[in-house]
Amino acid sequence: MADIASRPQFTGSRVTRLEDARLVSGQGRYLDDVEFPGMLEVAFVRSNRPAAKILKIDVEAARKLPGVKAVWTHEDCPLGIKNAGFDCTQWVLAKDEVRYVGEPVVAIAAESRYVAEDAADLVQIQYEALPPVLDVRTALKESTRQVHEGKSNVFFHRERKTDGFDEAFAAAEHRLSETFIFHRQTGAAMENRAFAAVTDPFTGRLTCYCGHQSPHELRSELCEMLDLPENMVRVVVPEVGGAFGIKASMYPEYLVVAWMALKLRRPVKWISDRQESFLADVHARDGVHDVEVAFNSDGTIVALKDHMMADGGAYTAVPFCGAIGETVTAASVLTGPYKIPHQATVIDCTYSNKTPLGAYRGVWGPIASFIQEGVVDRVARYLKMDPAEVRRVNMLSDEDFPYRNPSKMVYDKGSYLQSMEDALRLIGYEDFRKRQAELRKQGRYIGIGISVFVEPTASASSEAGSVGYEACTVRVEPNGTVTAALGLGPTGQGHETTMAQLIADQLGVDVTDVVVLHGDTDSAPFGGGTGGSRSGTIGGGAAITAGREMRQKLIKLAAHALEASEEDIELCDGKAYVTGVPAKSMTIRELAQLAYTNVKGLPPGMQPGLEVVARYLPPFRVSFSNGTHIAAVEVHTDTGKIDVIDYAVVNDCGNLINPTIVEGQIHGGVAQGIGEAFLEELRYDRDGQLVTTSMQDYLLPASVEVPRMKIEHIQTPSAAEGGFKGMGEGSLIAAPAALIGAVSDALEPFGVMVNAMPVTPAQVLAWVDQAETSA
Amino acid sequence: METTKAREVVQITLQVNGEAHTVEVEPRMLLADVIRHKLGLTGTHVGCEQGVCGACTVLVDGEPQRSCLMFAVQAQGHDITTIEGVTPESGLSPLQAAFQKHHGLQCGFCTPAMILTSEALLRKHPNPDEAQVREALSGNLCRCTGYQFIVDSVLDAAAQASKKEGQ
Ligand code: FES
Ligand code: FES
Repeated sequence: MADIASRPQFTGSRVTRLEDARLVSGQGRYLDDVEFPGMLEVAFVRSNRPAAKILKIDVEAARKLPGVKAVWTHEDCPLGIKNAGFDCTQWVLAKDEVRYVGEPVVAIAAESRYVAEDAADLVQIQYEALPPVLDVRTALKESTRQVHEGKSNVFFHRERKTDGFDEAFAAAEHRLSETFIFHRQTGAAMENRAFAAVTDPFTGRLTCYCGHQSPHELRSELCEMLDLPENMVRVVVPEVGGAFGIKASMYPEYLVVAWMALKLRRPVKWISDRQESFLADVHARDGVHDVEVAFNSDGTIVALKDHMMADGGAYTAVPFCGAIGETVTAASVLTGPYKIPHQATVIDCTYSNKTPLGAYRGVWGPIASFIQEGVVDRVARYLKMDPAEVRRVNMLSDEDFPYRNPSKMVYDKGSYLQSMEDALRLIGYEDFRKRQAELRKQGRYIGIGISVFVEPTASASSEAGSVGYEACTVRVEPNGTVTAALGLGPTGQGHETTMAQLIADQLGVDVTDVVVLHGDTDSAPFGGGTGGSRSGTIGGGAAITAGREMRQKLIKLAAHALEASEEDIELCDGKAYVTGVPAKSMTIRELAQLAYTNVKGLPPGMQPGLEVVARYLPPFRVSFSNGTHIAAVEVHTDTGKIDVIDYAVVNDCGNLINPTIVEGQIHGGVAQGIGEAFLEELRYDRDGQLVTTSMQDYLLPASVEVPRMKIEHIQTPSAAEGGFKGMGEGSLIAAPAALIGAVSDALEPFGVMVNAMPVTPAQVLAWVDQAETSA
Repeated sequence: METTKAREVVQITLQVNGEAHTVEVEPRMLLADVIRHKLGLTGTHVGCEQGVCGACTVLVDGEPQRSCLMFAVQAQGHDITTIEGVTPESGLSPLQAAFQKHHGLQCGFCTPAMILTSEALLRKHPNPDEAQVREALSGNLCRCTGYQFIVDSVLDAAAQASKKEGQ
């Protein structure tokens, strides 16, 4: 019996998606499409102060408004969210004090959202202002007010240094320092967050609907915080309109809505509007990094030092505190693909009076990449070397794997140098340099930025929780069609297709005969969900493992029924054949009927029915995808506008399940990278008000701002089942550094080296002005 | 519910996807909300209610319009088309099929509006070039796809249509 499917037909090919037909015709059911008779809708009154004591809440007028069913404050819903790792609770409705603009204070349930919002306007809250803490450097000072009285503003501190760091740092021929700044951003999925809850009148079970990345993780958290047994709660994730990490968190609104459904005995729904989404979805990327690098005249970098500071916001988000992810994980791969032997990091994560920091695609990645590539570019400029050459000098090469970096992370085999050389060819590097020199003479500034990334994927813990494995049920139904179920939480990645491809190849059936269920804790076996680029590798591994077990069952059954030996049975085209005797065959349908209905016809010891559950734990802690992004930009020094004029990607995520889907992920991540590098910024004013609460102020990249990209694949398999590596985040990890690097390169004649993201036209004009005045 | 009766309600007739619908609405109700929650046509999505994302786009007399920027009462007397109205009884429209073929969607939330906006474009300009497609779609945000495969979908739908035309 062959260990893998004899003729993989679907794995690796460009199968069109099985989920698309319903989505293109407007038949997808997203959260706001979930409706039940008698459903109440919720609106929240949120703090409009960054830091204040609550003196009085007057809800009388709101209560009296016709159509209002309940107006709740902390006393009505005294539930809290607490990250087990930290000494800090966020009450789902603020108690005594508010700590960020947008923090929920009062919840109103009414017969419609219109009425609930009317009532919200009638609530009066009296506050006594406290001085807000608004940035990490201030938070670090002893004299600053404590965001949580009696607790240090520094909720996490760690120092690490390789042996011999100080000597190596001092012995190097050159040293440079730079501060890298990352402004606040957020995932901004097109579908806002939402939650609905309804109790089942027959069983009393609570069903919660939520666009969430980890159905089981959400169920565990709900059960813990609502004190309910897990068999009494069902989580259903409907169609999700994008997530990008923000939908991996537990939020106060979810607990309030679930509690309302239980207490008011009515179906209850809350849907965020866009303004609330900017205020209350987890934020990301609020960090300052004081970096020093030591290097030699030949370009070799010997030591890297970073004081990593992250503003975690008012509370440590559950289950994933973004400030930790953006520093601790960044520290673990800070040297990226470069063989820098020494590293020293000091990490400080602090509280502030801003929205809590959680996950946004790439998390630590765009930060570490910008620092690592920014350092290489600075070394190159200082030594007057070609930036590609400095990369070659420091890059990991084939003989280095498995490579243990200075943070003791072990990289499995990748194609680092090759990916860069291929990307340089794809973009036409040499020609570009010539064109750049020509155009500079005409007063036009184009530049190129190189970003060689590492992407730790499929690791045991991520924003999707800390379940290191994934599980899959495969059932061949009595009529021979296949139903599979996984605990993943896809939000556009196409798992219904990719998982079906893997299972179909194991069973020798058509991909369209496999239906993949997900996002329902009643149908799916317990699993970790989607996040940290784990679904393809770990979920895929589970799908293959379960598929293979089912395959073995079918082969055993067929061998018995066809009176052949198991070694001679082949599964293909929906049939089981005896090798070399094509006439001797049975369809999967016939086998299924046998398995379910003809108990006497089964091989001895075989149970009736065709259903397996398998779990898959990869043979590593983490697998590294890699690749190179190269961006070419033109910077208009008269307007400050930056155009991306060319873009090349060489990506290596091991074996590909579906190249088209992989490319779609890359395109989307690069677009988000353009947002991150040039457009997106959550801006707080000096008083602590978030001033970017509409899409007119928080700019997302549009079709005219994202270029056509050239993509090539390299496939260096991982040790996982199927040889897959994760790839959901690499493009957003790599893109901002490439884009920013290109701006620095374009503006070299002005002496510019960009150190903060995003770069805006105003910033470009200021640099040009400055250069012209000092010239 | 007796409580709602106290509010001002008006009766309006909307022409949606070729059918007349008479509904009672408050004058402040957005067209998007009425389409979704009164007519049950949930293929129209709401992403911002700020007039920016374009997810709520419907065709009003053939022109793409944001249904979150319009009160339902203002839509009387106009011909409204939603995604449900361009979906054939069986199978997919050429544009819908092209989106599937070229992976022009991921989460699908922006997709109905992308398809309607593209419908309107192709009716006016059956053979657009890439820049025209990007320009036409520039008011429709997509957070997932990076647009390239959306643009490919629209260009291919146009090419297929003109091939058919030529036969
Ligand atoms: S919902 Fe209408 S433009 Fe965004
Ligand atoms: S496909 Fe998700 S927003 Fe466009």
